[in-house]
Amino acid sequence: MAAPVIELKDVRKSFAMPGGETVSVLDIEAFAVAEQEQLALTGQSGSGKSTLLHVISGIMRPDAGSVRIDGHDITRLGEAAADRVRADKLGLVFQQFNLLPGFTALENVLVAMSFGSGKPDRWRAADLLASVGLSHRLHHKPAELSVGQQQRVAVARALANRPRVVLADEPTASIDAAHQEQVIDLLKTTCAEQDVALVVVTHAPEVAAAFPRRLRLEAFNRAAVHHG
Amino acid sequence: MSLFGIAWRNIRQRLLTSGLTALSLALGVALVVATLVIGDVVKQAFNSGSGLGYNMIVGAKGSPLQLVLNSVYLISKPIENIPWAFYEEFLPAAARGDGVAGRYAGSVQTAVPICMGDYFRGYRVVGTNTAYFDRLTYGGGGASAFARFFARIVGGSATVGAPRPFAFAAGRNFRDDEFFGGVLGADVAASLGLKVGDPFAPTHGADDGLVHDPFTVTGVLARTDTPVDRGVYVNMEGFYLQEGHAKPVDGAAPKPAARDPHAAPEPLPAAHREVTAILVETASLPGLPAELTAMGLRTAVNEGRDGQAAEPIREIAVLIGLFVRPLELLLLLVTALVVVVSAIGILVSMVGSSLERTRDVAIMRALGARRSHVLATVLIEAVLLAVGGGLAGWALGHVLVAAIGPLITTNAGVSASLLSAAPAAELLLVPFLIGLAILAALLPALAAYRTDVAKWLG
Repeated sequence: MAAPVIELKDVRKSFAMPGGETVSVLDIEAFAVAEQEQLALTGQSGSGKSTLLHVISGIMRPDAGSVRIDGHDITRLGEAAADRVRADKLGLVFQQFNLLPGFTALENVLVAMSFGSGKPDRWRAADLLASVGLSHRLHHKPAELSVGQQQRVAVARALANRPRVVLADEPTASIDAAHQEQVIDLLKTTCAEQDVALVVVTHAPEVAAAFPRRLRLEAFNRAAVHHG
Repeated sequence: MSLFGIAWRNIRQRLLTSGLTALSLALGVALVVATLVIGDVVKQAFNSGSGLGYNMIVGAKGSPLQLVLNSVYLISKPIENIPWAFYEEFLPAAARGDGVAGRYAGSVQTAVPICMGDYFRGYRVVGTNTAYFDRLTYGGGGASAFARFFARIVGGSATVGAPRPFAFAAGRNFRDDEFFGGVLGADVAASLGLKVGDPFAPTHGADDGLVHDPFTVTGVLARTDTPVDRGVYVNMEGFYLQEGHAKPVDGAAPKPAARDPHAAPEPLPAAHREVTAILVETASLPGLPAELTAMGLRTAVNEGRDGQAAEPIREIAVLIGLFVRPLELLLLLVTALVVVVSAIGILVSMVGSSLERTRDVAIMRALGARRSHVLATVLIEAVLLAVGGGLAGWALGHVLVAAIGPLITTNAGVSASLLSAAPAAELLLVPFLIGLAILAALLPALAAYRTDVAKWLG
């Protein structure tokens, strides 16, 4: 097996509730994603899917354990360094797309590039958008794009800094069933073309079925099991 | 895309809010610029009197400030007249009928009499002799050593370049024998449209007073940017011949004779003459500093009963202390209030859009933006608004000054135009605004800095 681009060991995360009670959300002994691997993470609502993605992306720090992204243990890095790892190594696709509304499709990709280690490259940004079929929509703002087109911009943006892995959080939740397959195909194809690993978090069995490796969060997150 | 580009995009995204913020800022800055420039222009108006071609004014006893306001700025009322004989005490032997030098003549370089009390269409008429324009100077420190000496004492500036002789834009000075010749200041000629050869008839005591005999314009002065520009100067020999201008002696004033236009008029006898004030340039006595000569003359005159000697530069300093400094303080207060309002405007705009901004910040942070990036973006946005609003306001302020320029010219006697400036204050304005904008944006910038990404991304 190739070296993992994501590797979690003994990761625990819990939240303090208003009443003072502490609720454990993640308790993962080991989790890894190999280079160029494509997998689907499924789980019931409240099983910790979003928390896991936030911990992997460095948006949220675990209470314990290590999270390695392409060899960098982001739990040991300062916040700015962890941010840099997220910008360079990870591409994020959100359920609500989360495009910047005041920026055009091209600018949304360029903004992501401006936070990475490389220089923003207009031509590469345009190429990425062309690769997701949006060469004719470069200068359109999100509000001027269809839902499917917005999702494509989000995919292009996730690939802006040549990441090692793309994390997609319920990427089909906001689109109709007819377009779900297109979006998943797009993600899989584009990531494969760019040699980027892909982790798709979904609660839809039909989406998960499109991936050769499928993991149920309850299967390796002991906190989720306890929640049940 | 640079942080600058992101900030600019953010401004364009919230075009209405950003535009209104920049507009309110621009209006505030315009007000500040206008008040600064007008304040400076008014100060210049008073300071322009400090570059006189004389360093002492002798007039009737009373308020020295009133004497200066009347003689230098051509405003306020004359105190009283002083006797002709007293004026002659300042003249050398050659200029006196009795061939004996006046009591003060040794300390005097030049003594120019002025007679006031008449008007011409809103402007003061000054009766004087040819020496006013032939021997006096303006600008800089004509009076100079003395003026500079007192300027040093009062902390003002008496020198604004070298003293210059009066120049004529058209025509020439009237001659001694042209009893009915007159010279117009640049503003008078420009506003009344008078030119060399035109007749003009002053009125007695007020604009609606008795109309005197007409004088003829012999010359129009080139602009001096001093109160002289607002004066109408006539040969005092002709001035004396007007009704009401001869001093009664033993209760009787000579009746003005019907003049034969072909015969030279007879000058008014000395016994019936008075002057309103004497503009004196003191002499430098051998071995004595000029300042001490002037000081001695002033003391000698003031100890006598006939009149008082006032140093214009000192009175101007008093004037500035009385009117200009309080005006400056008022302007400073207005400026401070405008600045506070502008800062609040920026703050309100930034806070108002913070909800929208928070979501954008969360997205950018998720894409890998450091906290320093979002902090810088918000601050750059504020700076761009400040620079944009500031520059627009700066331009608007000058347009405002140009618009009310005629009003300033009428009231302060100096021209204020689009190009009038208070350079020191204006140069500081935009950097100051930038600092202010950063200060005002700090709160929303810190809020953006602390954005909880996980919470906003759901």
